[in-house]
Formats: sequence, structure tokens, C-alpha cells
Amino acid sequence: MYMLKSIGNANNANGDMESFFPIRPDCQQLVPKTRFKPKVGKTLSERRWNAAFDKDGRLDIAGVLRRIQRGGIHPAIKGEVWEFLLGCYDPNSTSEERENLRKKRREQYYAWKEECVKIVPVIGTGKFVMAPLDAEDGEPVENNGVVEPKSDDESDKKVVQWKLSLHQIGLDVVRTDRALVYYENEANQAKLWDVLAIYIWVDDDIGYVQGMNDICSPMVILLKDEADAFWCFEHAMRRVRENFRSNATSMGVQSQLGILSQVMRVVDPKLHQHLEGLDGGEYLFAIRMLMVLFRREFSFVDALYLWEVMWAMEYNPNMFADYAASKGSHDVVAAKLSKKVLQQYGKYERKNVQKGRTDQKSLLAVFLVAGVLETKNKKLLNEAKGLDDVAQIMGDITGSLDAKKALTEALKIHKKYLKKARNGES
Amino acid sequence: MSYAYLFKYIIIGDTGVGKSCLLLQFTDKRFQPVHDLTIGVEFGARMITIDNKPIKLQIWDTAGQESFRSITRSYYRGAAGALLVYDITRRETFNHLASWLEDARQHANANMTIMLIGNKSDLAHRRAVSTEEGEQFAKENGLIFMEASAKTAQNVEEAFINTAGTIYKKIQDGVFDVSNESYGIKVGYGGIPGPSGGKDGSASQAGGCCS
Repeated sequence: MYMLKSIGNANNANGDMESFFPIRPDCQQLVPKTRFKPKVGKTLSERRWNAAFDKDGRLDIAGVLRRIQRGGIHPAIKGEVWEFLLGCYDPNSTSEERENLRKKRREQYYAWKEECVKIVPVIGTGKFVMAPLDAEDGEPVENNGVVEPKSDDESDKKVVQWKLSLHQIGLDVVRTDRALVYYENEANQAKLWDVLAIYIWVDDDIGYVQGMNDICSPMVILLKDEADAFWCFEHAMRRVRENFRSNATSMGVQSQLGILSQVMRVVDPKLHQHLEGLDGGEYLFAIRMLMVLFRREFSFVDALYLWEVMWAMEYNPNMFADYAASKGSHDVVAAKLSKKVLQQYGKYERKNVQKGRTDQKSLLAVFLVAGVLETKNKKLLNEAKGLDDVAQIMGDITGSLDAKKALTEALKIHKKYLKKARNGES
Repeated sequence: MSYAYLFKYIIIGDTGVGKSCLLLQFTDKRFQPVHDLTIGVEFGARMITIDNKPIKLQIWDTAGQESFRSITRSYYRGAAGALLVYDITRRETFNHLASWLEDARQHANANMTIMLIGNKSDLAHRRAVSTEEGEQFAKENGLIFMEASAKTAQNVEEAFINTAGTIYKKIQDGVFDVSNESYGIKVGYGGIPGPSGGKDGSASQAGGCCS
């Protein structure tokens, strides 16, 4: 008890996380149990966090990363820490610089939102729609459900496409994290709807794809200001948005599945062969894990814990600058990096940089899946006689995984992969 | 668990029509008012009994959104039965049936049995598609039809089991070469077609039989 008291305002050991993200009583049985507990000396506490800034507000990111990789982030400060982990802000900036940037971003967001409200007035009202919208006035249509583009004009097409996805987002919003008390409030559902609606207004290249709601929901809960939640989500999407790109013949996530297949072939050829023999060599059963980053395999709190440790491990100090310059990656030669600079990388990213593997960016999730497969290695080899068995065995991991252990395993496999892949080359 | 036959099913239809809820009601006999949306493809299984033979249903539940179509399509391959689901309270889900059917016809084997389900029959007060329209569509396209409710469980057993009954009858009639697994049928231990071939009674559910 004293432990918890010293790092947070929790007052009972078991209900600790529940008090931050309460679960509806009628849903207790439907969601996996939460394993995460803040630990003194491991979890990044509010006090530690505040002490990590110098007098101008520059952040000691190396120290913060060390903490997060050991024990996650205390729920009270998750939102503000995530903004750094996701590269929304540069740890080397001053508080003043960040406040200016925040202000600018909020203005930008609300300007976009204003554009959207002009087309669909229900946006920003605390309500949302689940029925298709009329292409003309943006009001829900009567139940005939036909919305036809009336013009070939490109910008009109964009508007029509966008409007067509709004009711889809609505249908998904009511199904997102429904076990949480937070979403019993319609205004909170509408906040999630608004952020997703504005996001696809801005990023119309990919459009709305199911699963984006699962990525967005935690940001909406953790960041009080809607614009801040948007930008946090927008930065998270930069890491995973290619997974959501789809056309008639393929989905973006298949490129990650391809890498998974490549990794498995190297680290566990026997299991890979077995799965291939079952027609599972495409690893389609791992789609959900990769697209919504294990949201369904963990409780809400444990998924947040998994994400933050994962992002800390993947952290690259050049992220902010790369995003600002909107270019792919800032490749550096590891030999030139001092020890001090190397410590500003997460464990996973540091390995990549040291081995010159800049092609492995943001792929820890893939190694995480490989790790999960490894823990089920015997069962899969002995019991899986068809893809149904594989689906069953992989389905059984829900609620039984430990986030930290799974990530440690993922790092091990990553290391093994880099080593074997290199040996294979020579 | 041993079975005489294994039938592979696929559940398709627009997003939010209740595909996963129908599956949950059938496999677990429970209803979740708000089900997590399906990403990619999920899986369920249950044993039923037809003509005293234990039959395993292996059911693939697919994501309804268009974006996932390239993935879910690959599950048509080797499916013996399909449940094509729409929501009787949402007209647009009925309007899209033709395109679903086209997809199924194009990617599944020609002998796949398709059951059309108008789900959410408990919400009759919000009905946007009449029963007759459903019947009509099914008739025109050679489908079996039923309105059902994943919530009240009305017709859920029947939908899954009647589909199996039809497939079973096709086997008896020699429509399938059951040794060819691309039809979505596997013969289990003791499942050689013939009088009372069922070797053991591991079936957990006794179901009604086919028409």
C-alpha cells in the first residue's frame, strides 16, 4: 500500500488502475484482467517526470526512456509523456517553444474542424451520426441509404468520400472500448468521432479504415484537449498508417506480415515450415495484432503499457526533426554516435542503428508477434493440424500475456534475427 | 473431437450487421450488446448433429468493411457454406447484398450453400427491410432465407444447422467429391457416407435436421 501511495494518488492496491480507467460493472467479465501495476523505482512517476526537465524545460529523454522501458508510465502522466514518445515534441526544445508549437497546432486543428463543420454541421456538437449522410446538406438521409456522388469534380469527390465514411466511423465509435465507463458519455464518443472525422479529412489518401478507432481511443481518453488528442493520434498513425492502406488486391499490413514471415523463416524455420504446410505462411492470423497493436490481446491498461514500452524501445531522437522535415528517416552512422547520444535511443532502435539496419524502423510489433508465436511453438507444432487450430491457439493468448515479458522476448528475437540474418549474408 | 464431417463456413455481409454476434450466440449461447468490431478474420467452431452424425462446423467470421475485402476473400476458398447477413433496420446493408453475392460467386466454389440472414429481427419496430423483400431476394438468387436475432437467439441455431443440413443433403446426393477438400468438407473418422456411419457420439449439440 505505501508503495502505491508514494507514486500516485491511488488508494487501493487492486482498484488502482481501475480508478483511472474505470470499467463498467456489467463488462467486468468481458475484458481481460489488468496485470500492470506501477512499481516504485521502475515506473516513470509524476515526480520523476517533472524532475526530468531542466530550468528551461529541456527533457532528459535518456533517463525517461530508461524508466519507461523498465516499468511503463504512471497513468496520471501518460498523455504528456506519449507526446514525446511519439515525436510530437522535441525533448531538446524549451517549454516556451513547445507552448508556441502547441498553440499553433491547436489553431490548425480547429481551422480544419471549422472546414468540416461547414460541410457537416453535426461535427463539434457533442453528437454524431450512424446513418449515411446526404451528399448535399450533410444531414442524415432518410432510410434509403443511397448517397451518390453528383459531380466528377475532384474536390467534390473528396468531400463525398469523406462524408461516406462518417457514418461508418459512427458505427465503430459505439463499439470502441465500450467496457470503459468513459464511453458511456455520448460527448466522449463524439470526441472520438470528431477526431477521426477530422483526421481523415486531413489524411484523405488512406481514408477511414476500421482499427484506426482502436488506435485513436486511448489518445482521446488520455489527452483532455481534443486538438492535443488529434495530434497525438496523428503522430501514432505516422508509424502505422501504411498498414491501413488498402486497394482491391491487398492491404498495407501485408507488407508487415511479409516481414514477419521473413523473420520466422530465419529464427524458427521449423515452425515457419509447419505453418506454411497448413497454408498459413502468409500469417493472416496476425493481422489484428499488427493493425490495432495488440489491443484485443490485452486489457485497456495493459495495452497502453505495452504501447509505451514499445515506443520507448523504438524511440529515435531524430524523430521530431524527421517529422518536421517530413522525410522518411534520418540515417546516421552508428560509429559516429557518442555513448551519450546512443542513450537517447530506445533499446530496439539502438540495436538497429548499431547494426546499420534502418529498414527495421517501427517494426518491434512484428517481433512481438514472432515472440508470441515462439511461446506457442510446441503447441503449434504438435497440435495445429489446420488453420482453425492456429486461430484457436493464437486466440487463447488473450489475457494470458505479460506485456513486459512479451517485449523482452521480442527484443531477443530481434537480436537473434539480426545476428542470423547477417551470418546468412556473409 | 472426432466428427463424421467437417464443414467450413464463412460469414459475410456489411459491417455492423451482427455477424460476430450471430457467431457468438451460436458457439457460446450468449449475446454481447456491443461486440468489438472484427479486424481481418476471426474464428469459431461448434459440433452439431445431423442424421445422427457428429458434424463439426468451422466458422470464419470476416470483417465487413470494404478495405478488408482483399483479405477476407481468401477465406471463400474451400468454404462449403456461407451466411450472408444484413441488418433489417439498415436499408443500405440490404442494398449491398448483390455486390456481396457477386463476390461470393466469383471467389467461392459453385456448390457453396448460401444462407441469407436478415438479422436483428428483435428490432422489428425499426424495420427498414420487409420480410417479403428478403424472401424475394433469396428466391431470385437461389439462397435459403431466414430472419434471425442474435440477441434473442431466434433462428440462430436454425440458420447454422439448416445450412449444414443442405450441405449434408448435397453430399448424400453426390454433388460433392468429399475427398476433395476444396469443397470445404472434410470426412472425419467413421464418416463414410452411408447408413448410420457415425462412429462415436461426441456431438455436443443435438440439432434439428434439414429440409
